[in-house]
Amino acid sequence: MRGFMLVAVCATALYAQQFKFNLDHLAAKASESVDLSLNGSTLQFAAKFFDGKDPDEAKVKKLISSIEGIYIKSFEFKQDGAWSPADLDSVRNQLRAPEWSRIVGVKGGEGSENAEVYLRSEKGKVTGVAILYSQPRELTVVNIIGPIDLEQLAALSGHFGVPKVKLPK
Amino acid sequence: MIAALRVEQIGCEFDELVREHQSMVFSLACHFLHDREAAEEVGQEVFMSLHRNLATIQSPAHAAFWLKKVTVQRSIDEARRRKRRPQVSLEQVAEPASSPAPGDPMLGETLRRLIATLPEAPRAVIILRYQEDLDPSEIAEILSMPVGTVKSHLQRSLTLLREKLIRRGVGEA
Amino acid sequence: MDWLEQELKSALVRKEPSPGFSARVSNAARRPRIVAWPRWMAAAAAAILIAGGAAGYRQYQGMVAKEKVMLAMRIASGKLNRIQEHVMQVSR
Repeated sequence: MRGFMLVAVCATALYAQQFKFNLDHLAAKASESVDLSLNGSTLQFAAKFFDGKDPDEAKVKKLISSIEGIYIKSFEFKQDGAWSPADLDSVRNQLRAPEWSRIVGVKGGEGSENAEVYLRSEKGKVTGVAILYSQPRELTVVNIIGPIDLEQLAALSGHFGVPKVKLPK
Repeated sequence: MIAALRVEQIGCEFDELVREHQSMVFSLACHFLHDREAAEEVGQEVFMSLHRNLATIQSPAHAAFWLKKVTVQRSIDEARRRKRRPQVSLEQVAEPASSPAPGDPMLGETLRRLIATLPEAPRAVIILRYQEDLDPSEIAEILSMPVGTVKSHLQRSLTLLREKLIRRGVGEA
Repeated sequence: MDWLEQELKSALVRKEPSPGFSARVSNAARRPRIVAWPRWMAAAAAAILIAGGAAGYRQYQGMVAKEKVMLAMRIASGKLNRIQEHVMQVSR
């Protein structure tokens, strides 16, 4: 019985995000890497430590109240060519499943940045977001599980010490 | 074809941005904190933050604006951490020990010390106005405060500084 | 501009940092960086753990979780913002 429970827990952990990232091999080549795995209970726990009276923190607290998980892998490299299109293809192929649909695709030329945003839907409701972002020396994959408001998430840019992207007059 | 990254568009690498703006960043922090060593630490943190956020910089003007804003924010954070200057009302600002005359280099140091004892908001306003020659609307943008508040801080601070100095026989009424 | 404002301009003229400042900054930027927690967290964590026992440890865990969430938000919103800008640029 204990063995079965252990396997069940491991299986749950492996599939905590909505698709496999398969990018761990890039960590050794990266000059900087971020690996975040925040499940629902971690998010709920963290929410208790946000100050509801601080406007920025209140926004984040509200945003994460409906999220069930955030999984991010981000790598920065010192040189071009450290990651290959095949690395992203292994993620992209999983996002071809019927519950996923691509809503944005930004394709720059060679040596430029590329980005895709996918939404996961079930019974007409958003249940997840995937963001694939790449530059010659950066690769970032984000999976947010739950009914996230993309507008609200994008609007957070401009807080936490980073000024709003607003040119002076 | 999508435009290239903005850092490439503005033709600046990080090192160039550091060289171009180090004096501005350091001076803002130094005048705010009245401490060269602390100002260099803040300056280094600001540029590290710039390095992490380089992809969000849209133009040379945006870089300058971003650096001013973050430098002031970090300087305020540092001042609070160090608690080198208790928060006092403008009317309680300490008077300088000596009475230098206009044009006397000591007057500059006296003014810098007085400024460093101002509460954070008026201090930031004065420094941005006279170090960077910014007008109130530009200062308001950087400090995320209404233009009226900026003007009020400016007026009150100048009035107080003037009174303090005139009482000591410095300058004109 | 009156005499005081002139004096303020002189007093607040820009200064240079110590020699080698820009080189130190550039070198620091080039160093491989592991995402580390803010310095204040280490000190706060020690104080909380010493003073608070189990409750203190929970507080520390909460601070760590909060920092992770904020980092996640910064990364995700930053990328979405970049994508939005590109989409707006193309649609002009």
